[in-house]
Amino acid sequence: MKRIGVRLAYFVRTAWRGLRASPVTSAVAVMTIGISLVLVGAFALLLQNMESLLDKLGGELHVTAYLEDGLTQGQQQEIAHLIGTVEGVESVSLITKEEAFERFRRGVGRGSALLEGLADNPLPASIEIALVASRRSASGMAMVVASLDGLDGIDDLASGQDWVEGYMRAVALLRGLGVGLGAILALATLLIVANTIRLAVFARRDELEILSLVGASHSFMQTPFLLEGILQGALGGGVALLLLFALFRVVLPGFEFGLELVLGGVSPRFFALGESLALVATGAGLGLFGSAAAVTGGWRT
Amino acid sequence: MDERRDAAVRLFHVSKSYDAGSFALRDVSLEFARGEFVFLTGPSGAGKTTLLKLLFAAEQPSEGQIVVLGRNIARLGESAIPPLRRRIGVVFQDFKLLQSRTVEENVAMALAVVGTPRREARAKVFSILKQLGLQHRRYHHPLSLSGGEQQRVAIARALVNEPEILLADEPTGNLDPDLTVDIMDLIASTAIRGTTVVVATHELGIVGRYGKRTIRLDQGRITEDKKAVGVASGM
Ligand SMILES: Nc1ncnc2c1ncn2[C@@H]1O[C@H](COP(=O)(O)OP(=O)(O)OP(=O)(O)O)[C@@H](O)[C@H]1O
Ligand SMILES: [Mg+2]
Repeated sequence: MKRIGVRLAYFVRTAWRGLRASPVTSAVAVMTIGISLVLVGAFALLLQNMESLLDKLGGELHVTAYLEDGLTQGQQQEIAHLIGTVEGVESVSLITKEEAFERFRRGVGRGSALLEGLADNPLPASIEIALVASRRSASGMAMVVASLDGLDGIDDLASGQDWVEGYMRAVALLRGLGVGLGAILALATLLIVANTIRLAVFARRDELEILSLVGASHSFMQTPFLLEGILQGALGGGVALLLLFALFRVVLPGFEFGLELVLGGVSPRFFALGESLALVATGAGLGLFGSAAAVTGGWRT
Repeated sequence: MDERRDAAVRLFHVSKSYDAGSFALRDVSLEFARGEFVFLTGPSGAGKTTLLKLLFAAEQPSEGQIVVLGRNIARLGESAIPPLRRRIGVVFQDFKLLQSRTVEENVAMALAVVGTPRREARAKVFSILKQLGLQHRRYHHPLSLSGGEQQRVAIARALVNEPEILLADEPTGNLDPDLTVDIMDLIASTAIRGTTVVVATHELGIVGRYGKRTIRLDQGRITEDKKAVGVASGM
């Protein structure tokens, strides 16, 4: 056990010495990993937030049935009752013409003075239809809309169906792009780390020759390089995390409007601790694979 | 002479040729007992370094069998070579010191490989450097040392692990006569403690002084194998 501790200390010391021996190449590798992970991380952040918007919207998805003008209150309530019995409908609530107007006035706020001149209330009465959980999706909504279509007294049916479908497609597209970009960047990062470590092996060939002559095993000679790769990767992951956080805090608030557009009411959320660690671990993993590719070619003594 | 049955080194009809047609060693058979002290002499190009290289598996024989510390070198797998080398100390003709490391760090490399804890390693390095009169140079870099001092660092690295076999290639090539005697006495004392010592040298003066077994090589062949005389003679 003691031996293992002694070895580990030696490996860490040697890896650290290796990093410091070539600060420029090491820094380039760290920054490359960092920038790659910033790009991938930014995608992940965007997707994560867009998905949480979808989740949130899921609970609020509803279908609105606009009623024909001229129906009596009793008729309106009858229609609402009828809709309430349709499969997939959880609950209904009737919005009268007056309520609709009141909502609109409040929504417009200060500009409401403009509405004073309006002689007639142009807004129709409507019925807000909440869906059971299993129908809270684009296709679920489509089914409910289809079974309400053509019902007497209903002028028009509106749902977020098209919008939700588009949004889901956008999320899927972004995810695909993110995965593709991630794969390309991972490959580039691996190549850069492998190259950096290969240079380090070359720079230390005298040391390796002597180590081999005094009886060092391959793994004894290789481990510090693997650790060096892991260190570079983890540092790159840390750099990426800091950059992402800075972007999130400093740059994002400047794009409030655009953000509102993609995220709706959801306030943007940064990575949690576990996800942050995963980003650093991804860097470390890339570093490990890159350096492993560099050193497992085997070297001659 | 020490007549223990298990020899440290055995060569059976060993030949080595680097290039087809020419032989660096030719049909060499010999045996070194444990704790034996052997001089290897012969003119430049005789094959002394080649013979030493075969013993720590830096080269493979072209023909014949080599058994070192009970291992057949020719049949040794890649992974069995490092453990064997850890039992053998080598002083290289060109020292092979790392210029970017201090004297202490250079010597400690042999200890790092066997997993000696750092504090223990420092103590061992200090002790061996002191025996070689180099303790005041331990934080210097090899380039700032004289040739003789560098040679002693190389010897320190070979001895610090208390190897079972010590192979020294011209270990006194850069030393003045007084130092030569000191260093050779130190090397000889390790043989007394049970280490098999093989010293390649073309300085016949040293060889004569110690009266040890002397093997003479010429163009890759053993031309003489002179047994040790009972007692080391004076100058
Ligand atoms: N790596 C090599 N490749 C090709 N030929 C070699 C190699 N090493 C040695 N030789 C040749 O093998 C022969 C023996 O060389 P070796 O180095 O063993 O001699 P030596 O006795 O140690 O000489 P010296 O006293 O000059 O050190 C020489 O002819 C040399 O040119
Ligand atoms: Mg030689």
